[in-house]
Amino acid sequence: MTDLLRRLAETPQGMAGLVIVALVATACALGPALAPIDPERIDFLARLKPPSAAHWFGGDQLGRDVLSRLLVGARSTVPLALGATLIGAAAGAVIGTLSAYLGGRWDEAIMRTVDAVMAVPGLLLALLLVSTLGKSSYNAALAIGIAFTPGMARVTRSVALAARRQDYVAAAIARGERGSWIVLREMLPNVVAPVVVESTIRIAFAVMLLATLSFLGLGAQPPASDWGLMISEARRFTHQAPWMLIAPAAAIGLTAIGFNLLGDGLRDALNPRDER
Amino acid sequence: MNVLQVDDYTLDYRTRAGTLRVLDGVSLTIGPGEVLGLVGESGSGKSSLAWATMRALPGNAVEVGGRIQRPNAIGIVFQDPSTTLNPTVPIGRQLAEVLALREALEPKAAWDAGIAALLRVELRDPAAIMHRYPHEASGGEKQRVGIAMALAGRPDLIIFDEPTTALDVITGERVLALFRRLRDETGVAALYISHDLALVSRVAERVGVIHRGKIQEEAPARTIFAAPRAGYTKALVAAVPRPERRLVRDEPAPDPLLTLHRVGVRYGRPRLFNRRTVDAVRDVSVDVRRGEILGVVGESGSGKSSIARAVTGLVPFSGELQFGTRRIASPAAMDRDYRRAVQIIFQHPDSSLNPRHRVREILLRPLRLFGGATAEVPRLLEQVRLPVDFASRYPHQLSGGEKQRVAIARAFAAKPRLVVCDEITAPLDVSVQASIVELLLELRREHGTAYLFITHDLNLVRQIAHRLAVMRGGDLVDLLEPGQIGAASAYTRELVAATPTPVGETPA
Repeated sequence: MTDLLRRLAETPQGMAGLVIVALVATACALGPALAPIDPERIDFLARLKPPSAAHWFGGDQLGRDVLSRLLVGARSTVPLALGATLIGAAAGAVIGTLSAYLGGRWDEAIMRTVDAVMAVPGLLLALLLVSTLGKSSYNAALAIGIAFTPGMARVTRSVALAARRQDYVAAAIARGERGSWIVLREMLPNVVAPVVVESTIRIAFAVMLLATLSFLGLGAQPPASDWGLMISEARRFTHQAPWMLIAPAAAIGLTAIGFNLLGDGLRDALNPRDER
Repeated sequence: MNVLQVDDYTLDYRTRAGTLRVLDGVSLTIGPGEVLGLVGESGSGKSSLAWATMRALPGNAVEVGGRIQRPNAIGIVFQDPSTTLNPTVPIGRQLAEVLALREALEPKAAWDAGIAALLRVELRDPAAIMHRYPHEASGGEKQRVGIAMALAGRPDLIIFDEPTTALDVITGERVLALFRRLRDETGVAALYISHDLALVSRVAERVGVIHRGKIQEEAPARTIFAAPRAGYTKALVAAVPRPERRLVRDEPAPDPLLTLHRVGVRYGRPRLFNRRTVDAVRDVSVDVRRGEILGVVGESGSGKSSIARAVTGLVPFSGELQFGTRRIASPAAMDRDYRRAVQIIFQHPDSSLNPRHRVREILLRPLRLFGGATAEVPRLLEQVRLPVDFASRYPHQLSGGEKQRVAIARAFAAKPRLVVCDEITAPLDVSVQASIVELLLELRREHGTAYLFITHDLNLVRQIAHRLAVMRGGDLVDLLEPGQIGAASAYTRELVAATPTPVGETPA
């Protein structure tokens, strides 16, 4: 583990990713303690005020401190987006690898089903699932995870097809290994690289999808300081108080970039072949 | 005036682990019309010398010292003809482009020159080949196109970088004959790079042996292999398989271990609109006796690997296998006992060992499946002459020969009675190949294992096999003992004739 961190820190993108993700993680862990002002405190004088020494990122329409809301909101945004992506990545990777391993008719059947699911727009699918499962942040995350699965399955399958042709899979079949072992232990470790990269890109989408669901009233509910919810609330004040929109949008962007860089670094560090 | 003169040339590669010296004070000369053979194993720096001569070194190369005096026009023929040509452009356009560039011709004239060039490399119907895409031509045809391209613009020197390694024996032999004829015609000088001593001694006048970036010895082709002086050359010459030197003397038991009854393998599944299928193996009946080494030889596409895959249940097959008293008609009928008794070792250990598993995990798996103690891993490694601490390494941390030893250890972990060796020595250097064969024979003495030894190296298999099965286009054409090769079918005799004469024998 320390070895992995060391190799991660050796590359510039890995280092930058580590730093940004560490910052975001700190906000998630210690957000309420770090927040200078109670995020729910309504200060009439700070209403729609531009950034100042007292309110670094300005005030919102109710005079709440944007920085404090951002710090507290990290906790309800980032872990959920991460969880949603993990669900989608795990399920997609297993389905994709299984499909590539089985091949032939099974592959056709699985991939055509995946295509059918992909034909439904992600947001629509998530909406459908949340309205079935009930309104809550967790159900929203689960729905997004499920909506991500087909795409991840497709990406994984393309790599797994190459792994399927490798002789170590043939060796396992000749040994008489069970299918579950071949899929999970022989093939899956060799397809993680693109899955990791794809996942880090999707984390940003997950944050935005969560925000959209919140905006539609199916995810986090006001007065929660979910970043997506903050953006949708700030939408009406874009011209009067652009910082209200910019701050959470920048936070989402920074998180996305951080995870992307970390993903790039991880892909290199995770590859045992590349040790020179 | 020499065509190519390399003086005390030293080359480094900068890598993350530090600088790596690939060429160390190399000096050689090629006179007009002369062919210099350069022989070396993988990693010896022979290809780096070719790139340096072509001024096509990778970005991390540092020329430390010495100099190379090159002619103005150099042609090169690469190892793998299937990657040299652009698959999306017809052969004629690629050839005409080179000719237009090198000989400053108009497009129409270049096209006609291309047809003439293809005629010179003895391609039948060159006008038709000009319109074909690379995938529509065979490997031998593509290599001829490569030679035609290298000859474009009348170069003073042509570099051949293992030009026949990717080809079948017979195809390679024909390409070599073409090379000799063209040389006599054009008098072009050549640097012929290869790992195959026997082959180089047949095409070159002088031969240089390169090892770890240093020229070990340079001598006329006639004497270097008959009377090697440098220690490295001696070891290399000793490692080359010679069919007349038998390594196996015992006779196997007469009763069959595994019998194939009219086994066939067919690829391509019938679809709704496309019912085309390909027969890779047609009704082959042969038996492997207890403790026998059955050599299966043939060119690529002869179906020899398909037999390996059928026997180990990797492809569906028709016909029947008989193992002891059991009859097996499909892969699904292979039970744990059969899977344990019949093991397979693949050609490329890079591909057959999972890159994400440590050697220990790789060896533990058959032990767990077929009942063996976890503590056996060190013994397995010792059995294949590997240090015990290799257990904690990943495959990529091992050399090609070491990886193949791990693959052998994995096969023997199951205590098999028959091991299918599918071209297992093909990707290895000659000296490593010799030690792997020695190891296999030793394991056989110890365990009495039978081998189904699939290879295209006739010289090697004639040293070790009790019987030879010769395959061609999916059919078994010959089944005989190595001593009876004189009485074989015409095809087998052609195969033997095309195999480069081993070192020491005087070419007829």
